[in-house]
Amino acid sequence: MTQAAATEHHAPVENTSTGLNSRKLMMWAFLGSDVMFFGAFIATYLVYRGKSLVGPYPSEILDIPITSVSTFVLLMSSLAMVLGLHYVKEGQKNKGTIWILIVVVLGAVFMGFQFFEFKTFAHEGLTPRTNIFGTTFFILTGIHGAHVTIGVIWMAILAYGSHKGTLRSDNSLDLEIAGLYWHFVDIVWIVIFTVIYLISATDGPPLGVGPTIVH
Amino acid sequence: MANLWQRLTQHDGNGWWNLPHTSSNELNPDFEGPIGGAWFGNMWRTLTHGGVSHAGVAFYWVIGFALAVVTLLEVWLFTVEGLGGWYIPILLALSVAKFIGVVAYFMHLRFDHRMFTYFFVSAMIVGILIFTLLLLLAEYGHQPALF
Repeated sequence: MTQAAATEHHAPVENTSTGLNSRKLMMWAFLGSDVMFFGAFIATYLVYRGKSLVGPYPSEILDIPITSVSTFVLLMSSLAMVLGLHYVKEGQKNKGTIWILIVVVLGAVFMGFQFFEFKTFAHEGLTPRTNIFGTTFFILTGIHGAHVTIGVIWMAILAYGSHKGTLRSDNSLDLEIAGLYWHFVDIVWIVIFTVIYLISATDGPPLGVGPTIVH
Repeated sequence: MANLWQRLTQHDGNGWWNLPHTSSNELNPDFEGPIGGAWFGNMWRTLTHGGVSHAGVAFYWVIGFALAVVTLLEVWLFTVEGLGGWYIPILLALSVAKFIGVVAYFMHLRFDHRMFTYFFVSAMIVGILIFTLLLLLAEYGHQPALF
């Protein structure tokens, strides 16, 4: 098929100054600003990495196996999201609704993991006020958790809309825009998991200072 | 020779490294393979969509599976001793691969209008600049008292 022939099958160009859908462009612009937002918090975490003078320290408290499971859950929610969008665009209402509901469930499971983690950390003596690790860790992961919470509520509304038939293939852009947001939350976690958990998990107390938590 | 080069590296006149020429609302443009280019594109077409050139449900499962495997690999690397200075660069490379996988395919930038890619990449560049500046300030600037 030639490119010219293929272009005939494309959706009509939007009647805007850019030729693009303004709502979608707005979401990309928002995600661009969120990149800088999270970039600043991740950089702040790295600036203060290993500089806590009192514990608990990352090596004493971070639980990699549990966080790996929650990371897997969030990644799979992204897969569910793209499948949900695919089926909604194809007009397969039931499949679309089920996959969007799976996104909601997986997002809620991820939030549950985070709640469990925060509660465990608080029980072991790490709060945002304990040390600089606690401050930077809770702010970064807490803001990400707030994003996930908003995403779960958004997806639940869209799942209800899909079930009721108000979300259809002709207005699937609503889901596509929500999906962009959801995938962005996922890629931010990809970075957080690597930088905060996998790379920092071996950070212990400064030289000459003993461990805070004795298991 | 030029014709052979074109057949090896290009797909409908659009090199695999190029951003696609598509409209903004197309889910899976017909003439854009998931990777692009004849050599990769043909392979993916065979794997994922029975000869049709665009990505389908199976391709999304392939990407999801690949992301899960890379995550597993990252966690395994965490348990491996003796990587020394290679540990962080390897983890960052795997993280970037996952990042690109989600952005290109799940967020559809590979198939979408190039303007969206420009938006996102511009923000990434500014974000990375902020990131780098903060780290440089921390290294060479005034150190506040910590608690």
